[in-house]
Amino acid sequence: MSTTHKEVLYGLYNDEVELLNAVKQANADHLDIMDVFSPFPVHGLDPLLGLEESRLHIAGFIYGAMGTLTAFLFMSWVFTRDWPIIFGGKPYWSVPAFVPITFELTVLFASIGMVVTFYTICGLSPTRANPTLDDRITDDKFCIAFDTNDSSEADKEKLRSFFSTSGAAEVNTKMV
Amino acid sequence: MNQFTFEAKHKTVLGSFMALGVICLALTALGDDSYYTRTWSNFLHNSVFFTGIAFVALFVLTAFTTAYAGWHLMIQRVWEAFSAFLLPGLLLMVIVIAGVVLDWNHLYHWADESSVAADTILQGKSGFLNNYWYGLGTILIVGTWAFFGYRFRSLSKEEDEIGTEAYTQYKKTKTLSAIFLPIAGFTSAAMIWQWVMSVDAHWYSTLYAWYATASWFVSAMALTVMLLIWLKSKGYYNHVTPEHFHDLGKYMFAFSVFWTYLWFSQYMLIWYSNNGEETTYFHTRMYEYPALYWGNLLLNFLLPFLILMRNDTKRKFGTLFFISIILLLGHWFDYFQMIKPGVAHTAHEIHEMHQGHGGESHDAATLSAVEGEHTGGTVADAAHDGVEHAMVAENGTEAGHSSFQMGTTFPGLLELGTMLGFLALFLYVVLNRLAKTNLVPENHPFVHESEHHHT
Repeated sequence: MSTTHKEVLYGLYNDEVELLNAVKQANADHLDIMDVFSPFPVHGLDPLLGLEESRLHIAGFIYGAMGTLTAFLFMSWVFTRDWPIIFGGKPYWSVPAFVPITFELTVLFASIGMVVTFYTICGLSPTRANPTLDDRITDDKFCIAFDTNDSSEADKEKLRSFFSTSGAAEVNTKMV
Repeated sequence: MNQFTFEAKHKTVLGSFMALGVICLALTALGDDSYYTRTWSNFLHNSVFFTGIAFVALFVLTAFTTAYAGWHLMIQRVWEAFSAFLLPGLLLMVIVIAGVVLDWNHLYHWADESSVAADTILQGKSGFLNNYWYGLGTILIVGTWAFFGYRFRSLSKEEDEIGTEAYTQYKKTKTLSAIFLPIAGFTSAAMIWQWVMSVDAHWYSTLYAWYATASWFVSAMALTVMLLIWLKSKGYYNHVTPEHFHDLGKYMFAFSVFWTYLWFSQYMLIWYSNNGEETTYFHTRMYEYPALYWGNLLLNFLLPFLILMRNDTKRKFGTLFFISIILLLGHWFDYFQMIKPGVAHTAHEIHEMHQGHGGESHDAATLSAVEGEHTGGTVADAAHDGVEHAMVAENGTEAGHSSFQMGTTFPGLLELGTMLGFLALFLYVVLNRLAKTNLVPENHPFVHESEHHHT
């Protein structure tokens, strides 16, 4: 999220299997991977990178429950206190009629809440520019990136040799 | 271990449960009314429930095959084994048919000639609700299902034996599945109408077939999960991982929600239009069967919804097993409350008719007036005393009488024993077929995809 420029050394792989093997090798070599980029979710990558399960769905549940309560309590208040009207000879407080709207507001609150939370966590907004390391990682290349801003030449050399032994098709440096 | 051994020990256990089922049915019959209402309705309830599970297993297999799904290949043989119960299920239904046609039972209002003669609504429906449609339709339709199940199975076995890279059998299976799906869609609805919905012969709902099939679907998934966990504990199916269980859990979760959607939609449309002909169905269930009616929602929606919502609960065998038991029982209760009120009502009406009260309009007021004279005995008396005590009209509770009737208002121990008997028969057939060939297909093109399945 920080806008400070830093140097990134990254390697591009042609295949997801190569990528997974490279990540395993990097873990074995105790290399500190900054991030991995892929055009699509790669199965089995998350546990290798030590990523924890997202807590977004917990937030989603809370938003959903808020939607349920908002819809149900609001309708209950409107139809019993604020503006009671008889529809079709039903009682004022007709719970079955509230269910579809309660359901819809639950879905609405949960989905919008999760989108907003997700964007906030990722620091995404319409005004924010998102530099990609390489345009091909949104197409057909798989990328492992290392933060080399404070690395010595020896360290960088170690990373380069890692890339060449793990079968990277290309190795580049970029300031992001 | 790619070969299941159906040990003598398992056979003994299942055999004794089957014996328990037979004993329970016999005991029910001993204490039953002159029409054997409780016995016959228990028989119908369980036959329909387990035949439906077998049908859903075949439906799932053909749907997955048509959709090019590969994840389920590890457990395909379990569902093939489930579909083996279609033939025994047909035999069970033939017994029910014989009872309906030969007037051994009075499960269905439309099957009673004197009732139909006095009832214009039943006359209007007699084109579909008659002995021929019920008997021949069931035999033809379930027979067709069993045939497709048999073909699917034999192609799958043939693939193991002579399958090559040309995947001839797989291609044939795909054609077979595509043909079966539309047939399954229409015929299952017809069967549900005939078997279950027509116990309330005056009433109908267009959602009903979906509702009942969703119930079968969840039950089938729950039974699959439990059987797989047991098989894994015996050392079989080592390649069935939490990834596969995760998907089965998702199916249980999704179809529980789908079931609830239908449960509610059926209720809301009828509640909203407030048409007496339709609302009577829910009135009976809500006021005479409150525990089952609301318990239905608790067991089949709230618990699975809250328990299966989290990711990790679908991957833990303990939680999955627990919720599977709840769902299997819950949907069995669901079928109970679909069948019993209508059967009880029919038996009551036919009894009244044969007693000479016939020919009048059988609205709720007449029924409760008649009922007022008859209720009042203890539950034990009623069990021996015949149908008049068993049938409780809507005003029974308000009049201060005990309206509770074991086996009709709520499943008793005899019902539970009968269910265990049928379950044992189902598992016997399933395990027997499971032992006949490899547990995992060998030459199917998607086997390796399933082996490395990752959700």
